[in-house]
Parts: sequence; structure tokens; C-alpha cells
Amino acid sequence: MAPPDPTKDAAAADARQAAWDDALTHNTLPAFVQARLLDTASGKRPWVSSASPAGLLAQRSHGIRPLGLVSGNCWFHYGYSWTRGHYDGWHHAIDRLRSEAALMGANAVVDVTLKVTRMPDTGNEDHMDFGVLGTAVRLEGFPESPNPALATVSALEFARLLESGIVPVGIAIGACFDWLVMGGYGAGFGGPGGGLAGPGGFGGGPFAGSGGFGGAGAFGGGFGGPGGFGGNPGMGTGGGMGGMGGYWNQEITPLSTFLTNVRRRALSELRDDGLRLGSGVLAHTQHSELYRVDPDENNPYPRFLARHIALGTAVIHDRKSLKPFAVRPVLTVREDTPLNTSANTEEAL
Amino acid sequence: MVDASNALPQHAVERLKGMRDTSRRGGLFTSDFSVNEFLMVGEAGFEPLGLVVGSCIYHTGIQYAGWAKNQEMDVLSQAMYDARELAMSRMEQEAQSLSADGIVGVRLEVKRMDWDKDILEFLAIGTAIAHREGHPGFKGPGGKPFTSDLSGQDLWMLLQSGYRPLALVMGSCVYHVAHQGMFASLGNLGRNVEMPLFTQAMYDARELAMERMQQEAQEAQAEGVVGVQLHEGSHNWQPHVIEFFAIGTAVKPIEDAAVIPERLAPQIVIPVND
Repeated sequence: MAPPDPTKDAAAADARQAAWDDALTHNTLPAFVQARLLDTASGKRPWVSSASPAGLLAQRSHGIRPLGLVSGNCWFHYGYSWTRGHYDGWHHAIDRLRSEAALMGANAVVDVTLKVTRMPDTGNEDHMDFGVLGTAVRLEGFPESPNPALATVSALEFARLLESGIVPVGIAIGACFDWLVMGGYGAGFGGPGGGLAGPGGFGGGPFAGSGGFGGAGAFGGGFGGPGGFGGNPGMGTGGGMGGMGGYWNQEITPLSTFLTNVRRRALSELRDDGLRLGSGVLAHTQHSELYRVDPDENNPYPRFLARHIALGTAVIHDRKSLKPFAVRPVLTVREDTPLNTSANTEEAL
Repeated sequence: MVDASNALPQHAVERLKGMRDTSRRGGLFTSDFSVNEFLMVGEAGFEPLGLVVGSCIYHTGIQYAGWAKNQEMDVLSQAMYDARELAMSRMEQEAQSLSADGIVGVRLEVKRMDWDKDILEFLAIGTAIAHREGHPGFKGPGGKPFTSDLSGQDLWMLLQSGYRPLALVMGSCVYHVAHQGMFASLGNLGRNVEMPLFTQAMYDARELAMERMQQEAQEAQAEGVVGVQLHEGSHNWQPHVIEFFAIGTAVKPIEDAAVIPERLAPQIVIPVND
């Protein structure tokens, strides 16, 4: 039975809010959170772990003791830079998680998950919450650390890495976001110089140099909606790509270039973040999005929004002293049926 | 909390009887197990008895939050908790009628109704199991069947590591996140800044949900909680209202040395058909 707290009491609720306010301003934790974490670490309250029983078994066999769940979050508004916002938001949240773990006397946090939350039903896109959650653990034979190692991998994989002489140290993140304004795209629909250029196709106008360019460079020409591309080759000016033809297979070069650049910049950020931490990054999570945004009163041309996020666990290792291990191939009877409700089947032993 | 212990209708009793025919062990069973799961439950020394289910359709009360105030919606928190508890206790009651030792693979779902945003359905469903030798040491708190969202494989694995499941423990917190004033919003235009009120609300709500789950585990006299998941959701509520829900299986070490499996030395393998 979980009775709701005395938060019903207005004075107590206000005191609780004030405690949070004070703690987050001073980069600490409210007294009631500290008390719970310390009680959990000392065994006065039950330990808490996100690991499956398989993970639990391996933790015990490898001297990894679960302490408790630790978390952190940061609700961030990005006024001028989504890319920078992503970086700052995640790192603030991670710092908070790390201080919870340090308080518990953990020397590592495993199974760290990162999650973005937007305010439900408000459609608000310029701010969101960056939340991180992980299981603080105590590794036998390693001292307490004010700066616990963080890893997105499970305790099982953490142990596996240590066995091979690879030390997970932290979470590396690379994110990039950019807009591309397609000058030639929408204006072809009846804009000056635009015209029908063949059945079903729309022509790109010769306005390629006249502004409306953003992102990764200037592109001329237009390409159109359903029915084919109808720009006239050679119409683009201003060092652009020229028009897009209508009836043949053709790469949409501006978009390719744009998306490739966004991805490359995100990966380069990931590399920089990884360099700060260790000697390599196991970036298991890669996520890209590409949207088309229709013109509005402020933006006469359609715009394209691309983002790429890469994240994973940074490790320290020495290439020359990786410990070899025997490979014994096994076949697993996999369960990809809807009947299977286990969240952690990948942790097969 | 409504006690529904005398409320099992005749047809439910008959269905349950058919599943647990005491004169003939292992009468017909039903379960939503997969093949591996079924085999591993057997390997763990248990046999499935039948699918047990509990449901609760709940009308949540109305609560207004201050527009610019971070606060817990305790009426809703209570509703979400009570309704889940009711669904769970109805499922447990079915399992008790089967003389089950526990319920594994419990799924706890919340569904919204089209016609009224204040009505939610809570569903608890799982497979009741019993120890094949009738060992008494696997019951949950208070002699009731244990409950767990762990799969059959996970149950086997848990016993291998010297623990037994006690109860599915959970904590819920529905929270109203303060709206930021117009001035605060305008001041943020063009700037990259943290929104501290929002950060605080999320932090506080998560903390409350986790604390309550841990409290439940403590009351069940658990040593720890495994497989903990934290969910966020907004069930048709007004904007700025979010539920944090923490759920996991409370466990404690197996007391009877006779049934503790020999300590398994796990070997980590890398599947090649993955």
C-alpha cells in the first residue's frame, strides 16, 4: 500500500518545493532524497535494480552489487541552438545522476537510459526534458569514487568489457540539427519565372540566387511534387546545382549533401565528447530525422529540418593488451513472439 | 480498498475448478507462455495452473491544480494506485482459488475509454503457477500467492541466483507541472536556458514514484527489487499533467537451503545468430 504523502498538506508541499528549488540551484539534492539514497545504499531500504534476474546472477558472480536506481533530468529550452541545447540538457541531467550515484558510494552506474519528454498535448517544440535513469552499482575491488563510471550497457555487458580489459567510463553524446531552405522548391508553383515544364511536373524558376538559401550551401533549380521533377536544366544560378530534370533517375543532391553533413557533424561531436572521456565510443544508438516544413508567412520557401543523435558508452582500452577469449559459437532459440513479455531477453546466458 | 473475496461468480469458480482438479494433478491448464517460457517454468520446479485475470474500470475524481504551481495531483495518484491495486487483488484472488503459489508474467495495463476521459480500465493478467512438490516456501507476503512481471525464464534465473519473487511492487505519482508565466517565456526567446520549474516537477514526481515503490517492497520484507521499469504517461488528462509509474518485482533470498539450486556459474556467450 503506498499512501500518498503528506504533500496534501499545503505547507509541507511548499516546503518540499522550496527544498527542490534550493537543491537544484546549488547542485545538491534535497535532504529527503539524500536520506532515501543513503538508506538504500546501506541496506536499510531494499536495493533497487533495473537488471533482469539474469543480470542479477551475473552481477553476483562478477562482484557487482546493485545499490539503487539513480536519475537526473533537465528541462531545457533552446532558443538559439537545438544542437547546443541537446548537449547542455543531457550533460546537466547526467551530472545530476552522477551526483546521486556518488552519494550512494557507487563506483559505477550501469544500464543508463536516456529519454526525452515533451509536455503532453501542448505541441510545444522549443523545450523538452532530458531525463537519464540508471542502476548505481558497487564493483568489488574498486574504491568508492566521487566520479562514478557511467555506462549505457547492462551490468552483464559491463562485466564482459572489464573481463576483456576494457573499462567503460562515461556516456558520449553527439547531436546535430540544421535547417535547409529550398529556394527553388516552392516558388516554382506559380512564382515569377516558374512555370509548368512538362506534364505533371513543375518548373523551377531562375531565382536561385535571390535568397532563401540556408543550411549547407546554395542550390538552384527546383524539384517538384508528385508527377515528376520539372525544372529546366541549367536554370539555376548563383553557383547552385542547376535544375532537376523531370523524367530520369536523379539524386536529390542538395538533400543528400545536407543530411550527410548533419550526420557527419553529429558524429564529429560524438568523437569530441568521446575524446574527453576515453579512447573509444561504443555508440549503439543512432537516430536521424528529416522533416519537410511547409512555407508560412515568415518563411516563403519550404524548409527541411534534419537532426542526428548518436550516443553510447565511452571506454578506455589499450589496443595492444586486449585479452583474448575463447569463442564458443552457440545458437539461441530466440523468442520474437508477441507472447514473450520479458523486457530483457537479450541477456541470455 | 474493496474486499472482493466473496465475489467470485459461479462460472469463474467452475472454470478455476476445472483447471485445478485436485484429484488429478495437472488438469487442463491455460497460459500465455511461449514455448521456452513453459519449459523453463517446468525446469524451475513449477507447473502452470491457469490464466488469471482481474480488471477494474475506474472513474477518476476531479482535481484542479494551480495554473502556475508544481504540485502532486494526489486525487489522481490515489486513483491510479487504487485501481491498479483492485485489478491486481482480483487477479490474486483467482490465483488463490487455484491454490497457486504465485503468478508470473503479470501484465498491468491501463486503457482509456473513448466516451469519457475520466474513465480508465485497469487490467491485470498473468499465469498462476504452483510448485510441483507443493513446497510451502514460495508463497508471497501473508501466505498469498507471489506476483511478478518476470517471465518463466526469468523466474528460473531468479531462483538460480538464490532469490525468490515476493510481489509486484509499484509506485505512482501524478503531477501537475507548473505553467511558465508569459514573462518567463518571453525572456527565454532566443536563449538556451534550463526551465527550472519543469525540471523540478519531473524530478519530484519521479522521486515520489520510486520512493513509494521502494516503500511497498520494504513492507513486503524484500531484500531488493529487480527488473524495475519507470514509465511516464498522460492518460487523457489536461496538458501539463504527467504520471510517473515505477514497477518491479520485490525479491528475497530463498530461506529453505534444500531448494536453493546449486550456485550456477554463469558463462557469458555471444550468440552467433543474433
